[in-house]
Amino acid sequence: MTTLAWWLIRAQFRTRAAATCLSMLAIALGVALGYSIHLINEAALADFGRAMKVVQGDPDAVIAARDSSGGVPLATINAIARDPAVLAIAPVIETRVRIGNTGTPLRLIGLDVFSAAAVLPRLLPRNEGMTGGDIFGGRIFASPALLDRLGQRPGASVTLWRGDQRWQTTIAGDLPATGPDDLLLVADIAWVQEHFGPPDAVSEGRIRLAPDTDRANWRRDLAARLPADLLLRAAEDDQARVSNLSRAYRVNLNVLALVALLTGAFLVFATQLTAVAQRSTQFALLGVLGLSPRMRLLQVLLEGLAIGVPGALGGLALGYALALALTQRLGADLGGGYFSGSAPPIVPEVAPTLGFLTLGCAASLAGALYPAYLNRVQPLAQALKVGFLQHHRAGVPSHRRWRLPLLALSAFLMTRLPPAFDLPLAGYGSIALLLVLGVRSAPLLTQWLFGWLAARRLPAAQQIAVQNVAQAPLMAQVAASGLIVSFALTASMVIMVSSFRLAVNHWLDHVLPAPLYLRSKATPLPQDLLAGLERADAPFARVERMAQAALTIDARRPNVALLIRELERNNPAARLPFTGPLLTPPEDMAVVWVSEPMHEIYGIEPGQRLRLPLIGRVVDVFVGGIWRDYSRQFGAVTISRDDYLRLGGDFQPSDLALWPRPGQESAASDWLAGWTTGYGLELTDGIEIRHLSLSIFDKSFAVTYALEAAATLIGLFALAVTLAASVRLRARELATLGALGFDRRMLRRAVIFEGALIAAVGLLIGVACGIAIGAVLTHVVNPQAFHWRMSLAVPWLTVLGAAGLTLLAAVVASAYAAHQATRLPTAQILADVQ
Amino acid sequence: MRRRTFLTTPLLWPTLALAAPADTSVAYPPVTPGRRLVFPRDHGAHPDFRTEWWYVTGALDTPERDMGFQLTFFRSRPGTAEQLSSPIAARQILFAHAALTLPGDRLRHTERVARVGLGAAFSIDDCDVSIGAWRISRQGSGDRQTFRLQMQSPQFSYDFTLTPSQPLLLQGDNGYSRKGQRPQFASYYVSWPQLTVDGFLLFDGRRQAARGRAWFDHEWSTAVLSDGAVGWDWVGINLADGGALMAFRLRDAQAGTLFAHVAWRNAAGRLRQFETAEISFQVLRHWSSTRSGANYPVQLEIRFGEHTVRTLPVLDDQELSTSRPVPVVYWEGLVRVEGSFAGRGYLEMTGYADRLSI
Amino acid sequence: MLTVSGLGKQYPGASRPLFSHLDLGVSAGEIVALLGESGTGKSTLLNCIAGLETADSGSVGIGPQGLDIVRLGETARAALRARCIGFVFQAFHVLPTLTVAQNVALPLLLSQVAADEHVGRTQALLERVGLAGFGGRWPASLSGGELQRVAIARALVHHPALILADEPTGNLDPRTADGILSLFLERVREQAAGALIVTHSQQVAQCCDRILTLTPDGLV
Repeated sequence: MTTLAWWLIRAQFRTRAAATCLSMLAIALGVALGYSIHLINEAALADFGRAMKVVQGDPDAVIAARDSSGGVPLATINAIARDPAVLAIAPVIETRVRIGNTGTPLRLIGLDVFSAAAVLPRLLPRNEGMTGGDIFGGRIFASPALLDRLGQRPGASVTLWRGDQRWQTTIAGDLPATGPDDLLLVADIAWVQEHFGPPDAVSEGRIRLAPDTDRANWRRDLAARLPADLLLRAAEDDQARVSNLSRAYRVNLNVLALVALLTGAFLVFATQLTAVAQRSTQFALLGVLGLSPRMRLLQVLLEGLAIGVPGALGGLALGYALALALTQRLGADLGGGYFSGSAPPIVPEVAPTLGFLTLGCAASLAGALYPAYLNRVQPLAQALKVGFLQHHRAGVPSHRRWRLPLLALSAFLMTRLPPAFDLPLAGYGSIALLLVLGVRSAPLLTQWLFGWLAARRLPAAQQIAVQNVAQAPLMAQVAASGLIVSFALTASMVIMVSSFRLAVNHWLDHVLPAPLYLRSKATPLPQDLLAGLERADAPFARVERMAQAALTIDARRPNVALLIRELERNNPAARLPFTGPLLTPPEDMAVVWVSEPMHEIYGIEPGQRLRLPLIGRVVDVFVGGIWRDYSRQFGAVTISRDDYLRLGGDFQPSDLALWPRPGQESAASDWLAGWTTGYGLELTDGIEIRHLSLSIFDKSFAVTYALEAAATLIGLFALAVTLAASVRLRARELATLGALGFDRRMLRRAVIFEGALIAAVGLLIGVACGIAIGAVLTHVVNPQAFHWRMSLAVPWLTVLGAAGLTLLAAVVASAYAAHQATRLPTAQILADVQ
Repeated sequence: MRRRTFLTTPLLWPTLALAAPADTSVAYPPVTPGRRLVFPRDHGAHPDFRTEWWYVTGALDTPERDMGFQLTFFRSRPGTAEQLSSPIAARQILFAHAALTLPGDRLRHTERVARVGLGAAFSIDDCDVSIGAWRISRQGSGDRQTFRLQMQSPQFSYDFTLTPSQPLLLQGDNGYSRKGQRPQFASYYVSWPQLTVDGFLLFDGRRQAARGRAWFDHEWSTAVLSDGAVGWDWVGINLADGGALMAFRLRDAQAGTLFAHVAWRNAAGRLRQFETAEISFQVLRHWSSTRSGANYPVQLEIRFGEHTVRTLPVLDDQELSTSRPVPVVYWEGLVRVEGSFAGRGYLEMTGYADRLSI
Repeated sequence: MLTVSGLGKQYPGASRPLFSHLDLGVSAGEIVALLGESGTGKSTLLNCIAGLETADSGSVGIGPQGLDIVRLGETARAALRARCIGFVFQAFHVLPTLTVAQNVALPLLLSQVAADEHVGRTQALLERVGLAGFGGRWPASLSGGELQRVAIARALVHHPALILADEPTGNLDPRTADGILSLFLERVREQAAGALIVTHSQQVAQCCDRILTLTPDGLV
């Protein structure tokens, strides 16, 4: 049997090389996209995890304050150290400092070398020949990467700045176990505390437990005893947090890759269906000669695999190459902005590689399934005589018509479902249903359109085209389906992205009211600058100050940003774009306004009283409203400076919004220039920030566009392949028409008209589906995956233009098919089919 | 004086020692004769002095006969970070070392190190010194006082209560103990021999009751190794008749004795002390370590006055190597003695593996 | 080699059965011609015998063991066809995507004849039908007569007990037809197989051992 199978596969590849190669290419494309996304993400996560491991070590648990301005009291650290289950607890104080006036603040980690040896071995410093003195004597150590960046060598004197606090010291050596991307400074924890605080507390305690400890239990017991402003994290929490960072973005890309793969499966379907139709007589003969029905089924599946295996293998190679190229060009987050640093190494692993290979093969097998079934059930004697029998008649049997409204209803209901595992799975399901609905409704529209056309008086060629479509409904539907699916997905993505971009644009108008912004990047601004701004001769009409901190609400999720702003407690809408009503807070309570993502992630509602970890303790606050935020995906909460001070917080501004006095714009820039160069501050104007934001936005959707373009291309391939096959299948009829006096031009016109009709049906439904799916993406997937809401804005010009272009491409494809079909002399065709 | 004193000061903390004079000149108090020691206050820490240790060794007879244990806390004031106001400045560092001798098997040992204020703590009012869950502390008063020893590690753990059966022993001149020919080489040194051990021991996954006899030492000083000394030999023996014997000598590079001292308290409580001229150390047998290549005189004959005792190790290989922060190799373990007196106690020999100058 | 007894077939919706209670036997080495006007059900009878259509009643015993193809499942029928029946069609049905030799070897593949015999037996039969040296050629380059020779070689290559032929010379010009027919009958006799030939042609029928005619009233 294998010999025969091999003969048939070879014959198939030889006679239908183009269609087979296209199918392979489509499968390869789907696999390549999925695989490269996987590879890039693994590499990025591994790189991120490795960098985190250097700084964080590999502790069994980490104790930290929930808000970045708080700390873990020394008494708590010492109490945990006395626990018999604790082998070591390594306290660290982490802060950001500048060396001189360098622009980017650096991480300074204060550690205790005794405990670090057990928990954070990679941060241990090395003395270079002991010339520089020691860590207890107040010397600092820099990672080799940082030494390179600074162009310094051990022995150099440096001044560390944080706001107005400064520490003059010497670099005594390096950190030999840090990586090439780690820009770190390490010093003794007491020296860091002495210069930059906090007194009587540390940032974190990293805990190593005795090997026989029941870690989960131990953590639970300790967590229960901790005050509310402290949080105990497990190593798993950190992994979950890193993975949560890019999870939604990653899943979205993978769904897109899956779409490409499905389109590939569809192309295999089209190819194999036409292959089965064309060879129905041959398979019937083999059946008569004794090829069992099971083998007739298997043969088609095998042919599907013969496309899938090389396709998937090629896809793996392509995916690997793509991953390499993309990380070099866009960085490891594909422009998503979640990770930074140099391009990480791409390391393929066996299990996922086999997984993607299997996925590619499964897709091609799935595509071959229905054709294989059709081949299996062909009645031999009839097929031997008259060729391929289409079992499916045009249109939907009346007793099945209720299925369409049911599909529509299910698709709608699924959009109402909440996310599962933090992912919009029901939303994706709804999109799938919408696609099925589109494909299923194609026969209805075809029937209606062609019934209408049949009643017109058309030229003979067009009349024949209409009849042909009516006679070969399966082929027509296959060709149309490909276009429906691919165009609907492309259109939906265009709609979603353009809605999003419009919303971001409006939002930027609201959140960037000032002409100038000054940032010191997570370190406090110098007091002299702030004092200078308050003097009467400062050329500014208005200055708004902002401080930032980070809060950990859930150990497994990325931190929430805390923004302390100079807002009027009773009129925050002047600065924050609220999405709903603004509630008046009780007089005696601090009020916060939460961002939309925070509202979505933590289910926080306006009017609610919230216990927030602020200023090193947990305080009760009132939620006054929800504001739109497209920049902090993991949530942000804003509090007015006055409330923050009233609660006892220490307001250390790090960002300024500046309005120069009218006519003094250049004086304002000059006034600020001294500060920016002297302290390494960053001054940008509002327009610049807007451009930067939008360019980041466009970059993050670049991959999406590439995927969608691929899907549309595959859809067009499918159309061309199916149309060509369908025409060839009717070669005898065409030849007969030719014999009856139709010239070749008329025949071609008939075929092109047929293709255009099918494409028109496909595109019409495709556009409708695209808008529906675009709405699902905008209103369901985006809020659930990224916690961003926006209104739907259909870019009609783009969508209809794309539809027109696709129609044009379909006509070209039909012309090709027509050329193929009418190339042979009529007589030869008539003789051949005998 | 003894053993790790020297280790902890100039050797274990080379970086501390080097940095110290550069940044600050720390005025360590001198050790002078005539100071009256007051208890329990003087069981507590003396943080002004450069070094200090609390040292407990003992022999157990349950769960096995001739098991040896040792728990030591060393305190060091390296002279660094003295000018800082931070509560976690590395001014006082504690180093703890625990060992267990399993006869016929091997020696197990483990260690901890931490700065005071971050994981380590001591009291200046009474004996209470700890690193995390490791701790030596004193409870009660008068006739009803006890010491408690607690330590846990993945290798072994123990929790012992030590009850005195005899009064405290003030070494040298009422606790002023000379370590060299010149008077500045001295320490304050108190011992408490013949402590009854009661508690439990955990190793190889089994928790077992343990009983035996222990010896407690507490010593603090500022002294450094006197000129020419490369190492020392020391014994502290609980004698079978109820007496107690402590002997040490400082060696020069030629293995000659630079300074020696013996204190013997008989069962009736009468204390006799012997000076260098009355003491001799004779090597009877060496044992060579294959790991370090050091050659230790594990069987020594010590003569003092009219008396002679010989040491017999329960296990030849009781060589130790500490890894943090710098490696140091020495021999410290349970020995029996015979001769004029019979008994069991600990022998420590340093300066054999290397020149003790890194 | 073939024993048909009591065979009946009626299509759904037809007013009367196509045929009923048919009895027919072909013994080894016997060549039987089946004549009949169009629409009498000759092809349906042939399909029922080959198990391509299922008879309503009666039995069709095939091969030396006389297995009843009517009672077999689809897969077993295919296997029985592969083992015991050789087919020759009016329209040749030579697969255009396989070479001549591959076409001839198809029954060997399907009836699980050991692979090392394939080349020898294929070559031998191609020689017997006068197509020595044609093995590597593609069917598109062959004439109608040559194609039918290929089909005859394919029908005989696995030594079937029964040959079913449906107008084997119907698509050939008279001169070629004569040659092909005598070649065909010669080879069938050589292998001592039973053969049932459906034909319109009296001339073909005359060359057979026995002639049966299918009429609406049954076999005559």
